[in-house]
Amino acid sequence: MKKHLRLLPFILPGLVLYMVLFMYPTISALYYSFTNWDGLSPSYQYVGWQNYEKVSQDIIFRKSLGNNVKFMFMVVIVQTVVSLLLALQIYKKSKINVMLRALYFMPTILSSVSVGFIWTFIYDSNLGALNKFLQMIGLESLAQNWLGNPAIAIFSIAAVQAWAHIGQMAVLFIAGLQSIPPELNEAAKLDGASKLGLFFRITWPLLAPAAAIVVSYTTIQSFKAFDLVFTMTGGGPNYSTEILSTYIYSSAFLNYAFGKAATASVYFLLLIAIITFLQFKLLRTDRVSY
Amino acid sequence: MRKLSWLTLLLSIVLLVSACGNNNNSNSNNGSSGSNSGNSTNVSSNAGDKDKKDDVKLSFIHWRGEDVETLDSIINAFQEEYPYIKVETQVFPSDQYQSTAQAKIADGSVGDVFTVFPGAQFEAIANAGLMADLSSEGFVSNFESNLIAAGQKDGQQLALPYQLVYNIPVYNVALFEKYGVEVPKDWDSLLAALEVFKQAGITPIAFPGADIGPGQLMNSMVMNNAPDEDIFVKLEAGEAKLTDEWWVKTLAQFKELNDKGYFQKDAVGAKQDSSIALFVSEQAAILGTGSFHLASNKASNPNLQQGLLAPITVPADQAVFEGIHTTTFMLAVNSKSKHQEEAKLFIEFLSRSDIAGQYANGTGQNVTVKGVEYSSDELKIVSEWTSKHTRFQPRFTIKNGEVQKAVTNSIQAVLSGVSAEQAAAEAQAIVEQQIAN
Amino acid sequence: MLRVLGKLLLIGFACLIIAPLLIVVFTVFKSNAEFYSNPISIPVQFTLDNLKSLFSKQTMLLYFWNSAVVTLVTVALELLLASSIAYAIMRYGKSKIGGIIFALFAVGLMIPSQVNMIPIYALLSDLSLTNSHLGLILVTLTILLPLSVFMLTGFVKTLPKEIIEAGEIDGASEYRLFAQIVVPLTAPYLATTAAFLFVIVWNDLLFPMLLLVEKSKLTLPLALIQFKGEYITNYPLLMSGVIVTALPMILMFVFLQRYFIAGALAGSLKG
Repeated sequence: MKKHLRLLPFILPGLVLYMVLFMYPTISALYYSFTNWDGLSPSYQYVGWQNYEKVSQDIIFRKSLGNNVKFMFMVVIVQTVVSLLLALQIYKKSKINVMLRALYFMPTILSSVSVGFIWTFIYDSNLGALNKFLQMIGLESLAQNWLGNPAIAIFSIAAVQAWAHIGQMAVLFIAGLQSIPPELNEAAKLDGASKLGLFFRITWPLLAPAAAIVVSYTTIQSFKAFDLVFTMTGGGPNYSTEILSTYIYSSAFLNYAFGKAATASVYFLLLIAIITFLQFKLLRTDRVSY
Repeated sequence: MRKLSWLTLLLSIVLLVSACGNNNNSNSNNGSSGSNSGNSTNVSSNAGDKDKKDDVKLSFIHWRGEDVETLDSIINAFQEEYPYIKVETQVFPSDQYQSTAQAKIADGSVGDVFTVFPGAQFEAIANAGLMADLSSEGFVSNFESNLIAAGQKDGQQLALPYQLVYNIPVYNVALFEKYGVEVPKDWDSLLAALEVFKQAGITPIAFPGADIGPGQLMNSMVMNNAPDEDIFVKLEAGEAKLTDEWWVKTLAQFKELNDKGYFQKDAVGAKQDSSIALFVSEQAAILGTGSFHLASNKASNPNLQQGLLAPITVPADQAVFEGIHTTTFMLAVNSKSKHQEEAKLFIEFLSRSDIAGQYANGTGQNVTVKGVEYSSDELKIVSEWTSKHTRFQPRFTIKNGEVQKAVTNSIQAVLSGVSAEQAAAEAQAIVEQQIAN
Repeated sequence: MLRVLGKLLLIGFACLIIAPLLIVVFTVFKSNAEFYSNPISIPVQFTLDNLKSLFSKQTMLLYFWNSAVVTLVTVALELLLASSIAYAIMRYGKSKIGGIIFALFAVGLMIPSQVNMIPIYALLSDLSLTNSHLGLILVTLTILLPLSVFMLTGFVKTLPKEIIEAGEIDGASEYRLFAQIVVPLTAPYLATTAAFLFVIVWNDLLFPMLLLVEKSKLTLPLALIQFKGEYITNYPLLMSGVIVTALPMILMFVFLQRYFIAGALAGSLKG
């Protein structure tokens, strides 16, 4: 009991703020999922589970779900792998490495809206740098309608999301790599371990906590990637880049169906919870101690 | 130890700064009279006595960032005439306007005067009862009576459209003359004209398929395929379908334009900026957007000679409409506002023909106010269209946002290679889900 | 072989970062007309008009100040609040309560802002906290708690228990354990978290847009969106604003980098 009293002052301020300004509004927002509130009028009606049924059958909701999953997989895989590879190259102390870390971190500093604009421009079919560059090096056949082809648009945006955050995740991996005692590596090398063996037997298991943070944070980030999609394609062409967050936004503010938006958010929450849970199980972060 | 003192130092600087910040905030939050900001008090208002009143602050919100300079000078003039009123403007780009305006106007603290899009947004805000009824106000008669219908509901004038826009493609007069092309009056001559440009290596139509293109061009393409002005109302009532001939034909015609190479390459991914760039650099003969671009195009290339050209999708003798108009940027008074009288004074000011003229000539947009003198060529081109038989933008007759999106997305679908029938069917499926609510 | 690939990766990614940023920088020095005719390459007619316009007509310095104040205060307070909570969670150790508190905050991470945006605004409106920096700071503090608690808890957990136990045996109070042992040891992690938070708050558009009304209170991102029109956007001006907005953070990161990625943990591991 004494422990609770002692620790209370540490928890209380943040908790109170959180309950009042976050939990309470969120719960009342979720309450609206059982109504047909339009987000504007003072009155609305209780509709029970109707929204849940309608949203789960909604063609656009299903499309956004599918798109979001595609988006998430590509972002998580590319972002985690590339940031890890980069971190492995530059975690040791040296002037060049310090400079490179700063360089790679740059895109994170730009707001997603700015990033969206820059890349919309680069991806432009006719005037953009990417196709022009491919043309220059003779690979014109690879030039695509990056944001206008419904089959690849979502992946084009996923690439930008990864681009913007690889530096950020690399920083996390670097912090993790730097906390691995060098003695372990030296001992393993003395025992004759190969570079790959070193990585899989020592580095990777010890990096697990950092990796877990990176993967779950990236996953959640990719589900919330609203600004980027909104700026680059607005969900088009033809719903091919519509993701859950843009669907929620459209329902709430373009269609004045706040009840449905709240319902979609509940589904959103459930989905992320399940995925996060699975990820932690997969990475088995509690396994390591030394 | 070193690190701890660094942290403490930072924290203390921060707390000091925040103390200053909070002081300023508590002053302005009190809202008491005589605060140093000077003009944040509000008082009940009586119309008439302009000088002896307590200061009123009006909040004006809209989405046109490009109009800010012109509006600022108009606001200065307004504030000179009514010294006790201060107008504070806030602009949100139209995408953000949708979401933030809603939250802010709902409690009346922001947006004493606010602007509304016709169609879905107008309907929603009207249903929420957030617009004051302006029907009995004298200044309503300053507007052209046939141009303010978009702001009416159930016999009440809830908003007054300020801008008049023609949603018809813009064409390069000089290019047409150079290649001996005349403004086509029916579908076949349109195709022939576009072929001429294509052969000459000029992009026939620069079409921003990724953002505003479908929503703009669909109107002139459908106006004669479905002359019934209520066709989309019927769609939302379930009495007409997108899979009927009128829309399938429209989609097929879009597909034809794309397949024959009359749009630029990968038009479905093109945004307005690159399409505009093609047009102002005279690499495209037609820009598939609307009259709202006339002024800015001219600013980018002063040598451009422009005109408006509506595609006629049927044989000339079957054409009912010559073009499409929209009345938008609708001014409304927030029904929850504490300064409704002052808000109405502001709208009255804007509706004066000299002020409206100042706005029009400054922003390059035509207005719905009577008796305005336009000074630029572009504005005059547009005002010539007021004598033609045009139709109110069909897209804005759609009340449900998702239905509107499904309709424009079906155009994107055919541009990506889907057949007209299939695209129409997919869109109709979404429409049916939406209207079943 | 692996080495060469590794170096190639570094160079390749570096180019991928520099190229787009260069384009942005070029745009800053072009006029709007030139931008449309020559979007990508080096400006033919170099102009400083955009930057001049930004600072003369657009009261950038005031917005700068607002952003700086709001961001610094928010980040500092956030670190304080979140590290306290992370500390408490760590001190609860195996007890279930720690897990419950953590889960409570972690759940917040999954809630998209579109959903609680309107109720939060309504609540603040009732409390008369709209249009104030105080209200904005409180809201930002709150919505960043899930992320901050999540990150800091993960970091704090890596501290070796022996040091804490040693402190307990010495009879230190919770406050002393926190302030004199845990905080110094986690300083690099606090700095990393501070970096993340700083960027998020500095670039935050949603809540400032929703809550702030008076021109004198606006933050930088809000100032930027004023440049976007309904049909035309002055991109050179917008990009100038983007660069000016990003500059402080770039400088901050470059100079304070060593605080962010220093491996201070090494010292305490031997125990």
